[in-house]
Amino acid sequence: MQSKPNPSSYRLIFSEVEEIGWQVLLRASPDLSSLAVNLRDEKGRSHVLEIALPWDYPLSSPSLSSDVPYMCELEWSDGSKLRDVVQQFTEHLQKLQEFWSTMDEIDKILCVLYPKKPSLAMSHRQISIGNDCSLLLYINACKPRSLPECRWFGPDSSIEMISKKWKRNYRKWKTDGPFHENLETLLEIELPKSSVSGSSKSDEQLDCGICYAHCLPVDEELGDCSGGEPDYTCDNPSCSKAFHAVCLQDWLRSISTTRQSFDVLFGNCPYCSEPVAVKLNGGKCSSIIQCFVWQLPFLFRYSGLVFSSHKLIHQLR
Amino acid sequence: MTSTSSPSRKALSKIACNRLQKELVEWQVSPPAGFKHKVTDNLQRWVVEVVGAPGTLYASETYQLQVDFPEHYPMEAPQVIFLHPAPLHPHIYSNGHICLDILYDSWSPAMTVSSVCISILSMLSSSTVKQRPADNDRYVKNCRNGRSPKETRWWFHDDKV
Repeated sequence: MQSKPNPSSYRLIFSEVEEIGWQVLLRASPDLSSLAVNLRDEKGRSHVLEIALPWDYPLSSPSLSSDVPYMCELEWSDGSKLRDVVQQFTEHLQKLQEFWSTMDEIDKILCVLYPKKPSLAMSHRQISIGNDCSLLLYINACKPRSLPECRWFGPDSSIEMISKKWKRNYRKWKTDGPFHENLETLLEIELPKSSVSGSSKSDEQLDCGICYAHCLPVDEELGDCSGGEPDYTCDNPSCSKAFHAVCLQDWLRSISTTRQSFDVLFGNCPYCSEPVAVKLNGGKCSSIIQCFVWQLPFLFRYSGLVFSSHKLIHQLR
Repeated sequence: MTSTSSPSRKALSKIACNRLQKELVEWQVSPPAGFKHKVTDNLQRWVVEVVGAPGTLYASETYQLQVDFPEHYPMEAPQVIFLHPAPLHPHIYSNGHICLDILYDSWSPAMTVSSVCISILSMLSSSTVKQRPADNDRYVKNCRNGRSPKETRWWFHDDKV
């Protein structure tokens, strides 16, 4: 059993919070076993530091967590207080500035495919390098300006060429040079840059839950759908997964439980298993079918069939 | 029709290729606990090392899973088998074939290599006895011509393990 803190330990924690200032305190658990403080670094980025206080605080050191690539080793001795925690963490933030400015530089200049919304702790970026190839970079948070660890993705032939160049040139990496210029020197190519149009960048791009891509490949086989964006969303509000209608059709057609009525496939969402109905060949439903579908509830009501037709209408609207 | 232990090696479709690249990136960034992807240049066949979870019958034993992807992944399930030696388990045949519904009838494109691996590890972890399936010899004999487990009509009799 862990013993309950006595009133004096509450008083101690209060006075220590007083010292660091109540304005930085974001939240505290009712038993004061965990605190969250909001700190700003020199670039104005805001960092939430979660501080878990052990029951025998301040005898044992608190444990820290925050959205950082790695956490500082907390030095804790007899007279240590919350003030020291904040101070040590602030120094740690200082140390990480170069890492974050490197990541910012990558995000701002290069064409980052993933993650779309990186957290401050993420030290990887997948960037497009053109010709259907991409590069996954792992930035060393301790030495952000050094040669990053990489993995290549793309057609074998191109990858082979790129990795050859990389091996030939990697010594040319300059720890004091701009990151993207270093990459360009090593790869002997000009890298695709991020699309500056701010509006399109801030729009969250939804990827299809089946093929994981935003745009379908450009392919004659896909006809009108070639290069298309997700155009079907699961109706279940707690799922709302986006799909390319063609991907969903392909999936529904590959399993035996799917039923087809006229040119509509009835099956289940691969994510939430709720019923879905997709019109074949995508696109908008023709007006004749639409008229017919609008009649469906009445037809079924009068023929005495139990059939949930509202789903169908919803999908075809 | 003849078949081989590796599924018909038709090259991955564009869609399959793209999706697998994304799965691989996701795996590199946050691999499922207890698994290691053996780095190769082959996107269509992954070899994954799995370590038995602590506190289970297979604790700290290492096995290898071979994951082969069909041309139209993820519309079709990947073929997942244990490479020799396969763990002793009531649902794993000595030829490495695994009796697990999500690899066959219950596959859905919402699953990933990573989620399949986690299911296999949890199947291992929940086993209370190290033994082969009752029909092991008959099944393995039937597969001698190199039949893929995906051609087996599986009967999933047990949802506890």
